[in-house]
Amino acid sequence: MKIEVVRRRFAVSVALIIIATVVAFLIAPTTHNGVAIAIVLDVAVACVATLTLPGLRSSHPVVARAALSMLGVVVVLFVAFFLPSASDFNLATGAAMSIVLLGLSFLTGASGQISLGNSAFMGVGAFTMAIWANHHATTPIFITLLISVVAGALVGLLLGMPATRLRGPYLAGMTLAFAVAFTAILGEFSSWTGGDSGLQLPSEARPPHWLVSLFHSGASPLTTSTLWLTEISIVVAGVAFFFMANLFASRTGRAMRLIRDNDVAAELVGISLPRARVIAFVVSSAYAALGGALWTLIDNSVSPPTYSFALSVTILSLIVIGGIGTISGALIGGIIYAYSTNVISWIVNQTGLNPQGNFASQLNGIIFGGLLILTMLFAPLGIAGAVRHFWHRARNRSSG
Amino acid sequence: MSPGTELPLLALEHVSVHFEGLRALDDVSFDVSSGEIVGLIGPNGAGKTTAFNVACGFVKPNEGHVHYPTAKKSNLRPNQLVHAGVARTLQGVGLFPHCSVLENVMAGGHLRPSGGFFASFLSLPIEVRSERALRSDALAMLERLNIADMATRLPSAIPYGIAKKVSVARALMSEPTLLMLDEPASGLDEAELDDFARLIVELRSSMGVLLVEHDMEFVMPLVNRLVVLNFGQVIASGSPSEVREDEAVIEAYLGVAE
Repeated sequence: MKIEVVRRRFAVSVALIIIATVVAFLIAPTTHNGVAIAIVLDVAVACVATLTLPGLRSSHPVVARAALSMLGVVVVLFVAFFLPSASDFNLATGAAMSIVLLGLSFLTGASGQISLGNSAFMGVGAFTMAIWANHHATTPIFITLLISVVAGALVGLLLGMPATRLRGPYLAGMTLAFAVAFTAILGEFSSWTGGDSGLQLPSEARPPHWLVSLFHSGASPLTTSTLWLTEISIVVAGVAFFFMANLFASRTGRAMRLIRDNDVAAELVGISLPRARVIAFVVSSAYAALGGALWTLIDNSVSPPTYSFALSVTILSLIVIGGIGTISGALIGGIIYAYSTNVISWIVNQTGLNPQGNFASQLNGIIFGGLLILTMLFAPLGIAGAVRHFWHRARNRSSG
Repeated sequence: MSPGTELPLLALEHVSVHFEGLRALDDVSFDVSSGEIVGLIGPNGAGKTTAFNVACGFVKPNEGHVHYPTAKKSNLRPNQLVHAGVARTLQGVGLFPHCSVLENVMAGGHLRPSGGFFASFLSLPIEVRSERALRSDALAMLERLNIADMATRLPSAIPYGIAKKVSVARALMSEPTLLMLDEPASGLDEAELDDFARLIVELRSSMGVLLVEHDMEFVMPLVNRLVVLNFGQVIASGSPSEVREDEAVIEAYLGVAE
């Protein structure tokens, strides 16, 4: 019976993949793009075919999570092909931000700790990326990314160990102190960090050519297009989402929820609170560092003011608006961040404000602050929580 | 004292605890062995809860020791109790409010080998298999206690008596040799009490049970041995019939006869 279903699904998928490939070449502006679009569509078909297999989520949860992450990646990639190239940069920064938000969602939502230090942990990743690339330009870019993640995790471990003795506002205070001190620390080591002007990535620190050309339209030269950055960021974000989904569904993830719910009972089932808190802190630091390292790659440079304390506040607002403690909340927060600059400049244009004026430059904070207040008032569990709530209500109404 | 020559599961030796001048426990010693149900009773403020909290590491004794002789361990912290084969329930129900009943019970099996953090992060087969086994064992445990139909509900959406059973189910998931029950009878109705008493007697065959309780009608027919505390001291211990006749106990419960 089960084999039958799989076989039939396989046949239908193959047919759809052939159709998708033909369609891809019909809609693609050039043959080079056609290959990329065909790959994206074919992967999408395969993912949907896998996901709709009956009982997959309970029998093979890992396969289901992998297919869902992959589907998410190819859908965004597909959209990116047809968006104006000005949008690439937004998508890339948003994808990196959603990785940071994932880490914070795990830390705050799952284990109940609050961190205001995410800007600094992003900065650790961002500067590690730039410093390493400047000293070892031949290291493949993905290895440098990994090194940045490890650096973030190590700093997280160093700070997390004393931090586990602190709770609630005291932990927030300690991470706030780190975030505020971070730019000063960067200044102290200006021979490494480049001081106020920051660092440029060397021209060798680029992804391998075959990867860039795979998704790149043959018509325009490599240097002017940013599409490959978007693709790399989105793929990395997809991988980060997959692993975080694993973590949420695993015993480690459940241990975090148990601590948040009732720490006394959690200890009695054998969970060591300090250990679990350090793990959550390190995971969130490593994710923040990955996001920061991607930003360095996207901007091709890094400068200290980017990682000032204000960024931490933006990050915290984004995850609260998106939905704290959820994976989809991080995705929503990332999308909001990606297009917030566009929306703000649109508002400035429409209202005829002076773009260089005081009000226009602070509009970012005003809008996020307003959104934060609205979320706290009407949807304390964020957009993800509100959607889930209405979904459950609609389903209960239709069934009862 | 304990039946046979076996080592006890839990032994308090000359334990004293004081909170800022107040002597909550004063030279308290007692033990619990496998196969027996021991009741810890006494008037309000006698130190029962403190004794319980010392036994499971929530409160450190100022003097004396807490031993787990069978497990060859002493003075454990709460999160190490499970390693010594000790599981306890909390006053009230002490469940995880935002986790389903099934997840609450699965939590009890947290220490089963699952490969640790990286196995979780990468969803390695060992983690997936371990979680699947844990899930089906937790369901089996719910079935054993006749509450499998509650598996997907949240603790706030189930009756109090069932929630108490869930807390016992969670404790049993760690396959303890000593089960510590904190006021198991409170808030239960007649039928639920009978049900609970039957369950505890059934459990005795494979473990030792230590319970703190106010409800004498529930405790007396259930336990093999009673330890009576008053003003932080053990004033009597022995079988229920012996304790019932004890002068000091009668005095403590009824006040000095005029």
